[in-house]
Amino acid sequence: MCSTAKNKGNCVEYTDSGLPKIAIGFEVNGDRFEKHVDPTMTLLQLLHNELKLFGTKEGCGEGECGACSVILNGKAVNSCLVLAAEADDATILTVEGLGQGNELSILQQEFIKYDALQCGFCTPGMLMSARSLLDRQPNPSDEEIKEAIAGNFCRCTGYVPIIEAIRSAATREREALI
Amino acid sequence: MLSKFDYVKPKTVEEAVAFLENNPGTRVLAGGTDLIVLLRRNLLITDHILDIKGIEGLHRLDYKEGKGLYIGAAVLVNEISEAPMIQDKYRALSQAAGSLASHQLRNRATLVGNICNASPGADLSTPLLVYNAVVHIEGPEGKRELGIEDFFTGVKKTALKKGEIVTGVSLPDVQEGDSSYYKKQARVKGHDLATVGISIRRTSEQETLMGMAAIAPTPIRLRELEKKLKNRDFNEETANWLKEEIKNHVKPISDVRASLEYRFLVSGALAKKIMMTLMEEGVK
Ligand SMILES: Cc1cc2nc3c(=O)[nH]c(=O)nc-3n(C[C@H](O)[C@H](O)[C@H](O)COP(=O)(O)OP(=O)(O)OC[C@H]3O[C@@H](n4cnc5c(N)ncnc54)[C@H](O)[C@@H]3O)c2cc1C
Ligand code: FES
Ligand code: FES
Repeated sequence: MCSTAKNKGNCVEYTDSGLPKIAIGFEVNGDRFEKHVDPTMTLLQLLHNELKLFGTKEGCGEGECGACSVILNGKAVNSCLVLAAEADDATILTVEGLGQGNELSILQQEFIKYDALQCGFCTPGMLMSARSLLDRQPNPSDEEIKEAIAGNFCRCTGYVPIIEAIRSAATREREALI
Repeated sequence: MLSKFDYVKPKTVEEAVAFLENNPGTRVLAGGTDLIVLLRRNLLITDHILDIKGIEGLHRLDYKEGKGLYIGAAVLVNEISEAPMIQDKYRALSQAAGSLASHQLRNRATLVGNICNASPGADLSTPLLVYNAVVHIEGPEGKRELGIEDFFTGVKKTALKKGEIVTGVSLPDVQEGDSSYYKKQARVKGHDLATVGISIRRTSEQETLMGMAAIAPTPIRLRELEKKLKNRDFNEETANWLKEEIKNHVKPISDVRASLEYRFLVSGALAKKIMMTLMEEGVK
């Protein structure tokens, strides 16, 4: 994980294949990037190692835990299973893009209010799954909330506060629209 | 990752097939939810990755009355589970799609990737079996079509030949009154292949079709059992009979997910549950 000595400050372990790089252009949290990436690099490694966006976490690296969830072209995905090369022309939203300047988003505020995090490792992924849920269903049932975060493991909270936080954020977001 | 691969993203099927033919160490990439995991575990080494998502025609998902349903090779599992028309006409397929992994995985995983990976427990295999799906294949020798039963040839093995890709899958149209149901038993909901997966379809002509996954080296149709169900009504007696009889038609294995005995038990229990559910909905 994030051992500075071992990874020279790069969170996710990564070895360059040495193969010719691929030119890609994409947008992350509203900023446009042009990069030359290694074909064997994942989107998660791109976020960490190239863009220095360390909010998105790597847990399992195999699609099981959801810690690496980001929103890619409007859909929540596990960034550990996406190749960086696949992000050409993509629009990406990561946890860093949820708030506005120094102000946290409603969703983040509710996570704090409801104690929906302890160690916080799962939180960026949870937030992205929740964001994607509220984008497609502004008024989700508890069942829909549970289904939306079924791919996000939390080893600390027992999930109940997370569900409450998402439910409350949904209400507040709907009210904010009126 | 030990693999050193380059990445190509053709725009047409012809380009893809030509690349595959000329570059033997190539792996087709759809959603990557099987492939990238294998590469990261170094269980698979490849020289080239061929991403098929840039081929526009492979994103086709449509239903035409009289013709049926067509699902292109780049169509996402979530697109299938969310399509009201599939829920309405091919319910077992919609249910199986909705039960695969997590929301994030379903936003990447494809139905065609699921069958090409050819796991004995592949979730989307059994609905395709009961709807007599046809696999559309394109390769150096041109196009061909294959019934889904003939597509699976062994554990993680398919009938695809060198240089061939699957372009899509089609399901014949269904009549009014046709109904189906899918159930799976897994260790963890949302995170695992089925220990047993089963689809049962009852047509408007009261014909029964049954497909099962994870109880043989490939997903299979239970043709002998289907014959025995031919002249039986769907009622509680039949459901109880089915629960026991099904054990004579499956050949489960013991593996990391479940023991043989457990799979026998679950097969019977799930089959009965499905029949009872269909009955309650008025299926005879
Ligand atoms: C955490 C996790 C949970 C999972 N849970 C489930 C589950 O509950 N049920 C289940 O059934 N599966 C599950 N899977 C497996 C996987 O997600 C599915 O099999 C998925 O449908 C594969 O589709 P894909 O598009 O990602 O395939 P890919 O990984 O892109 O491809 C799979 C294989 O098929 C080949 N291939 C893909 N498309 C084509 C084509 N058009 N022509 C020729 N070859 C092709 C690839 O080369 C590769 O060998 C899970 C995987 C993970 C990581
Ligand atoms: S790190 Fe991607 S799902 Fe666990
Ligand atoms: S808060 Fe620790 S894993 Fe969720």
